[in-house]
Amino acid sequence: MRKIKILLFMGVLCTAQLLWAQTRLVTGKITDEKDGLPIPGATVTVKNTNITTITDANGAFSIQAADNAVLVISYVGYAGVEVNASNASAIRLTQGNNALSEVVVVGYGQTLKRELTSSVTRVKGSEVANTPVANFNQALQGRAAGVFVESNNGKVGEGVKVRIRGQGSINASNAPLYVVDGIPISTGSLSGNALADINFNDVESFEVLKDAAATAIYGSRAANGVVLITTKKGRSGQPKFTVGLQYGSNNPTNKRGFLNAAEYIELLKEAAVNTAKYHYNRAGNWRGYASEQAAITDMTTYVEGRLTRYSGSSDWRKLETNTNWEDLAFQDANVGAVDVSASGGNDRTRYFISGSYNNQDGILFGNNFDRISGRINLDQQLAAKFKIGLNLAVSRTNAKRVAEDNEFFTPMQIVALAPITPVRNSSGAFNNTPTTTYYNPLIETENSEYKSYTYRNIGAAFGQYDFTKNLFLRTEFGIDLSSQNDEEFYGSKALLGNATNGFGRSTWLRNTRYTTNTYANFKKSINDIHSLDATLGFAFEKGTSRTTFTQGEQFPSDDLRSLDNAGKITDGGSSVTENAIESFFGRVNYGFRGKYLLGVTGRYDGSSVFGVNKRYGFFPSVSAGWVISEENFLKNSNTISFLKLRGSYGQLGNSLGFGSYAAQPAYVAGRYSGISVLVPGRLGNSDLTWETSNQFDAGLEFGFFKNRLTAEIDYYDKRSAKGNRGFIFNLPVPFTSGYGSYITNLGEIQNSGVEFSINSTNISGRDFKWSTSFNIAYNKNKVLKIDGDQDTLSFNDGRYMNALIVGQPIGVHYGQKYAGVDAQNGDALYFEQDGKTTTNDYNQAGLFVVGDPNAKYFGGITNNFSYKGIELSVLFQGVFDYDIVNGAGGFMSARADWFDNQTRDQLGRWKTAGQQTNIPEARLNRFGDFASPSVSTQYMEDGSYIRLKNITLAYNLPAKWLSKAKLGSARFYITGINLATFTDYTGWDPEVNTDYRAGNINQGGDFYAAPQIKSVVFGLNIGF
Amino acid sequence: MKSKYLSIALIATIGLTSCKKELDLKDPQGLDPQAALATDANIKRVLQGGYDALSSSSMYGGNIQMFADLAASDGQLNWVGTFNTYREVWGKSIITTNPIIRDVWGAGYNAINIANNVIANIGKVAAADQARIKGEALFIRGAMHFELVRFFAKDYTDGDPTTNPGIPIMKQPTNASNEITKPSRAKVAEVYAAVIADLIEAESLLPATNGVYATKSAAAAILSRAYLQKADYAGARDAASRAITSATGKSLLPTFMNNFNQAANTAEDIFAIQVSDQDGANNLQLFYSVDIFGARDGDIEVEPTYLSLYEATDVRRSSTNNPGATTSFNTAFYVKYGAYRTTKWRDLYKNVKVIRLAELYLTRAEANFRLGTSIGDTPLNDINRIRNRSSATPFAALTLNDFYDERRRELAFEGFGLHDAKRFKKTIDGLPWNDNKLVFPIPFRELNANASLTQNAGY
Repeated sequence: MRKIKILLFMGVLCTAQLLWAQTRLVTGKITDEKDGLPIPGATVTVKNTNITTITDANGAFSIQAADNAVLVISYVGYAGVEVNASNASAIRLTQGNNALSEVVVVGYGQTLKRELTSSVTRVKGSEVANTPVANFNQALQGRAAGVFVESNNGKVGEGVKVRIRGQGSINASNAPLYVVDGIPISTGSLSGNALADINFNDVESFEVLKDAAATAIYGSRAANGVVLITTKKGRSGQPKFTVGLQYGSNNPTNKRGFLNAAEYIELLKEAAVNTAKYHYNRAGNWRGYASEQAAITDMTTYVEGRLTRYSGSSDWRKLETNTNWEDLAFQDANVGAVDVSASGGNDRTRYFISGSYNNQDGILFGNNFDRISGRINLDQQLAAKFKIGLNLAVSRTNAKRVAEDNEFFTPMQIVALAPITPVRNSSGAFNNTPTTTYYNPLIETENSEYKSYTYRNIGAAFGQYDFTKNLFLRTEFGIDLSSQNDEEFYGSKALLGNATNGFGRSTWLRNTRYTTNTYANFKKSINDIHSLDATLGFAFEKGTSRTTFTQGEQFPSDDLRSLDNAGKITDGGSSVTENAIESFFGRVNYGFRGKYLLGVTGRYDGSSVFGVNKRYGFFPSVSAGWVISEENFLKNSNTISFLKLRGSYGQLGNSLGFGSYAAQPAYVAGRYSGISVLVPGRLGNSDLTWETSNQFDAGLEFGFFKNRLTAEIDYYDKRSAKGNRGFIFNLPVPFTSGYGSYITNLGEIQNSGVEFSINSTNISGRDFKWSTSFNIAYNKNKVLKIDGDQDTLSFNDGRYMNALIVGQPIGVHYGQKYAGVDAQNGDALYFEQDGKTTTNDYNQAGLFVVGDPNAKYFGGITNNFSYKGIELSVLFQGVFDYDIVNGAGGFMSARADWFDNQTRDQLGRWKTAGQQTNIPEARLNRFGDFASPSVSTQYMEDGSYIRLKNITLAYNLPAKWLSKAKLGSARFYITGINLATFTDYTGWDPEVNTDYRAGNINQGGDFYAAPQIKSVVFGLNIGF
Repeated sequence: MKSKYLSIALIATIGLTSCKKELDLKDPQGLDPQAALATDANIKRVLQGGYDALSSSSMYGGNIQMFADLAASDGQLNWVGTFNTYREVWGKSIITTNPIIRDVWGAGYNAINIANNVIANIGKVAAADQARIKGEALFIRGAMHFELVRFFAKDYTDGDPTTNPGIPIMKQPTNASNEITKPSRAKVAEVYAAVIADLIEAESLLPATNGVYATKSAAAAILSRAYLQKADYAGARDAASRAITSATGKSLLPTFMNNFNQAANTAEDIFAIQVSDQDGANNLQLFYSVDIFGARDGDIEVEPTYLSLYEATDVRRSSTNNPGATTSFNTAFYVKYGAYRTTKWRDLYKNVKVIRLAELYLTRAEANFRLGTSIGDTPLNDINRIRNRSSATPFAALTLNDFYDERRRELAFEGFGLHDAKRFKKTIDGLPWNDNKLVFPIPFRELNANASLTQNAGY
């Protein structure tokens, strides 16, 4: 605080200084050549300097520039121009796609897209603004080439997997580094998703840094790509206000359907007879039935007894109850949002202030997400050469959560209940076990709550001193504070509370992460031949996480839910985790005649998470670009307006996601008989070092027809460095050691692929416009080495079969191959290891590589149409060629192995000798005579899908009406999210990775995971 | 100009307020293994950690006792719960990837490693306590090897124990990745020899009383089990007899049911896992009991045929039809949700019995009977001591099978089923006593991690 005061004081002193002698304030206005309308938001940069501004609502700008300076004007959809500062008063832009001359934010700086020698994908905030999702990553899905986004399930504000160019890690994180206005932010949380704290309507642009040349400046955290988030800044000019309102509803994308009461009863009665016959004839009749008929009678009596029990107060024989439990997992869900912002400023001060409220009901009962956020972005020119600024965002997120997918009390597990069971008993209370087959999750709606309160404050202050127009020194101090409090209460009827008159838990997390960046930038052009842009700096970051929790039992009433009311405090604790990184970084970009471009970057990082001797690592990259279209033989081409070839190679690190202390061997505290004891915790590894990968990238950028059509294609090959700097992995070791695994980086992995994107202005008439952007990416993942000894690590646990196998992709499905049904007796058959012989003994089944949970292709296509004030935007997004294993198959598609209600495919079960079907005979596993259905290809399906991700129809009020109402703009819209999904996957939703086990190896798993959210919202945006 | 330098200096200062030793961050929640094993006080805490390992729900915290009785249910126990992993144990159709079987293996070796660490550092323990500490560690190591070998290998009496594969014998501590070995399976006879050697030494080192921790009597009791399982009846008899005599302050409780649902050890407990709402696991309660007592839904039902093992007057078969969470009852069984349930594991947060004095009388009686001896007391006296307490008619004469039946009555649901059935060569659910399905598979993940291991026959 004191430092800021000093800065402010200094600023006052500095105002006494004279302005730059050589420069003056250049003002001008930018308009559309065709209709003469002003173009707000266009970027104006003094060429070869860092001086830049943006036009206001009237297309006007003012900028400090020398008389002989050249201004570079760019705006999306228009061809860029360069004009002399002296001719800047009225600049006209012609339409044409000109993403190439856009300014792109890169690590510790910015550059023109056309001068980039690295692979960076930009998504403008305006493209995703007002998307009714909690997390910006969900809004980016399908929009950026090579950026794979997958929500674990349809719970609101929860886990989202983001992968840039595949997965290079096993036990370290594969998620990108997120940097907000220059400050890396933390993604840790108790529950939910820390990225959902960010109101992405405040975001100006997302830059996804993909290749080594782009990311290496983030060194040890760059291997998974970097997402730079730049928030909106004020622009000089009249104050500008925006108000946005949105309201709509959420629904599940799909319901898969289960048996109705009649079908369920028929199935179970059939299973009873079959089990009796199986037991009597094939399982040795160890129960000692006198005859087959005696066995059938006993089994039937048993099953009918169960049906009676599960029918509660109703009579199953009369089909009195037919409950559709699946429907009851969902609630009527509404979405509402309000956004307001004010921005403006003058040549000294610029501000952007916003406030937002966002409330989304999840589709599952009891699930809700509610966020209030505010932001102040302030830039102040204290003196001609000295400016300071502040970006400050605060948010409060309240969420009502539902349990993870594997908990009996999570809403979706309700589908296991029998359709013959009434929801409530005769006295009006929810039925529960033993009337229900399992705990009835609806009890949670009345008797439990799980609320999460998060306060987040991401702030950054900077000071920048411009020594000359070519050289500045900038320092940034960022702080990311989050405080999260999860309050859980499970009442006397709830699964977790019934034994103890209620159970409550209060958990707190406080995350503090501070960052300092200090760097100098030198930018100079010599005679328009040589251009040089060099950055050199250092950074320090420290993160601290503190958690504390208390839990208690024995509540006097289910209405008294805070822990103060607990009769007995049963547990409590606190812990601290810290990590720190210190870094030196630099970058030099050199251009010759704007044709030949060269870039070198490097970062030297030291991190606390490694052993003392392995703490420091150096991560360099080199890149080169050749703007072929600047060569004489292309310069005058009418077809090819831009052509650039670029390539990069570099070394990247990964130090995130495997814990701050994993390298340190440790004994940890345990408890026994009322005293604290010491137990072995982890083996650690004194040799643990940087997970390093080498990435090669080659790219080609095209522009045709005055850049109305631009395209970009990249090939990359990213693989672990050799020499024991490979992926960080908890290598399973024999349990006989007393341990399950130890952390090491012996393994090597490779990701190679191709990304292609194309942006086209198809029609650009005066009234009708149509543009298309399309992207697709292909990635091939391959494990090259594990530890040198083992080549197959299978984690098959009977439900899932993800494995790590040399030569195969990470998490490959490796397990039992289902061979269908023995047409003679209805047994499930599996292939033995020879791949030909079939067996009905699951233990004799061979193990095969049977599927890949990693999507090989994914992409999206957006079409934007506009006619006068009407706009239509349609985004289709698709993911192709990957396999999902339903871990719950052994329960829900298990031919009545138990009393769980079954999926509808079970109607096709084997019934008579000779019948050809894929569903085995129904047998209730009452006696454990046979192995219950376990994981095999029977429960694996291709997940490929195409989704109508986002469709928006909008109407902008015409200017003449607006001026009467004294409004700048008014836009009405209707947006649909996930309105249609095209897939052969028979589960709820092919975009799935069940949350309780989601990880780098554990992919492609479904387990009562909620379908994704389908939303329809109406909205209004007004600007004045 | 002054302000210019000031502002530059300021920027630089903000940037530089960092670094220096900031990367040396030690885990506040973890103690370096060398420190954990450096002092008398710490090593004693590590030893107590060994009991924590024993108390794992996969080990004496309930699963191995439950598995022994589920596998030997012989139509008298029903698994009706929804977990198919447990149903596989009951149905003898275990798949090699079954995680609850995997975790028995892991829990056993975890405890063994702790014991080995204590033994390797015993020289740092105060001289006066060395015998006791080492004795406790040997007790843990011996007991764990014994539990693992009798689940994961053929019975000692099945074929040739000197050639049948047992389990790896672990005697070296592991504290670092370079200490990890890939041991192969020792022979069954070798494992028993190691178990017996550990327990004999433990018995000699341990004190007669030792709080809730291992005593001379506890070591002798596990030793008697090992001898009994290998049909060394003289060894079993003598160990059981020593366990009885060295059990200072221990006696049979007058009321059978007062053994159970106790938060503290009773006079009859030789060794028990301590469970409270703070620590310890009791999976027997979780699965045998019902929801009104804080358990699951009553996953294990007792068939009426089990009750028919008892005479009508036997308090060990007493039953109530009206159990309530609030009404107290002390019958051996209760009826809930249409089936009998054992009361032994009714209540939440109560100790798990590992060794009760009653078992030792039954073991001594059986071994004396088989050998025609009366060391300690006559077989009739010993067995009737148990029966009289529960108002069962005393035996006037004995057959060998009486011991099997009496153990089933007295020690029901306490983890003896499978092991006793193998000893008495009983047919179990239609399977011969030495059927491959009555031996657990070596866990799939362990075979993957250790190429030196071989899978059991039948998997």
